[in-house]
Amino acid sequence: MNVRKIVTLTEETLTEGGRPVEPNARVAVVAAVIDNPWHGQGFVEDLTAGIDEAASKVGELLAPRVVKALGGTVEAYGKAAIVGLEGEIEHGSALIHTLKFGDHFRNAANATTLLPAVEKRGPAGVTFDIPLKHVTDATIRSHHQSIEVRLADAPHPGEIVIALAAASQGRPQQRLAPLATEQ
Amino acid sequence: MTSSTDPAASGGQAGLRKIVYYQEEVLQENGAVASAPVFRATAAAVIANPWIGTPPETDLAPASKMIAPVVARLLTDRLIAGLGGAERIEAFGKAAIVGTSGEIEHAGAMIHTPYFGNLVREFLEGTSIICFADDRAGAGEALVVPMWHKNQASTRSHYQTITARISDGPRPDEIVVVAAASTGPRPHARIGDRSTDPAVTSRILEGATA
Repeated sequence: MNVRKIVTLTEETLTEGGRPVEPNARVAVVAAVIDNPWHGQGFVEDLTAGIDEAASKVGELLAPRVVKALGGTVEAYGKAAIVGLEGEIEHGSALIHTLKFGDHFRNAANATTLLPAVEKRGPAGVTFDIPLKHVTDATIRSHHQSIEVRLADAPHPGEIVIALAAASQGRPQQRLAPLATEQ
Repeated sequence: MTSSTDPAASGGQAGLRKIVYYQEEVLQENGAVASAPVFRATAAAVIANPWIGTPPETDLAPASKMIAPVVARLLTDRLIAGLGGAERIEAFGKAAIVGTSGEIEHAGAMIHTPYFGNLVREFLEGTSIICFADDRAGAGEALVVPMWHKNQASTRSHYQTITARISDGPRPDEIVVVAAASTGPRPHARIGDRSTDPAVTSRILEGATA
């Protein structure tokens, strides 16, 4: 796996709707810009070799960094794969939709649920929204949220941006009734 | 109820809504490992524009004096924590984006006075004048922030930029204030310096064709 760049983003929200958010809401993202393992090979039927080469390594790289960047308990999480223009969306999906990738984050965050994801193809500087859900119960409505990310010069056409997102709480000023009240 | 544009209404003295820290570690450039690992970062604060609705003759100094030092401290604290100490920071820069209900002069008032610049320089332990960018724009506009060496501004290896962007700021009545720093030069910096430059004048164009 060839990593060109690692990006860390943290957002702290102090007020929302004109009212204080206490404690401040924190969301962190860590992204690695890596070479697309299948770039330039035409249509590769069996993606296993590239998955074996990169999926676990990039998960292992990102998981501790995003937990550290958040600096608190991970209550919600999500993931992203943004493929450069000369790749397939399937290439990004191959790297993130495998337990080899996700279990690093699940273990680091004491999480049990599936990681919500965004997969997308775009040019360098494309914006993408990473969805996050609660780490042990994906039906907890207060924790459904997303964070917008943009790397100014990635992905290049032959690269993939792989990212993890973590939040230490639900949405600022969350006040929707629980799912159970509608059942 | 107080207006959300009142700096005292929420987010404390500076009317802070959000703080965004963005850091890049470049491991490779053009297929080769960078000569030294360099970290670049921006810290950005989304604050209420304290001058919304005020006429152009308004004295901007009182609000600058109240708000800019708080923001300077807050942003440099994050840069220092993220980059591993002021002593590791070699280059710096600053920027502001004012929302569309404000004047570009409001952006300048947040970053171009000693209430911001002197404090950023002091906290990051530099001596140079700080280079800058400013803009008036809608939320989500990307702004390229220039940086140069914090002690010798003409050090060419340290001319570099980083892009700052807040997805939902500035709103029309907000200002995004940015401080930027880098722990080293560009990857593979190799365009010489004033000490190595030949003397170049327009005579170099004699006989040249386009």
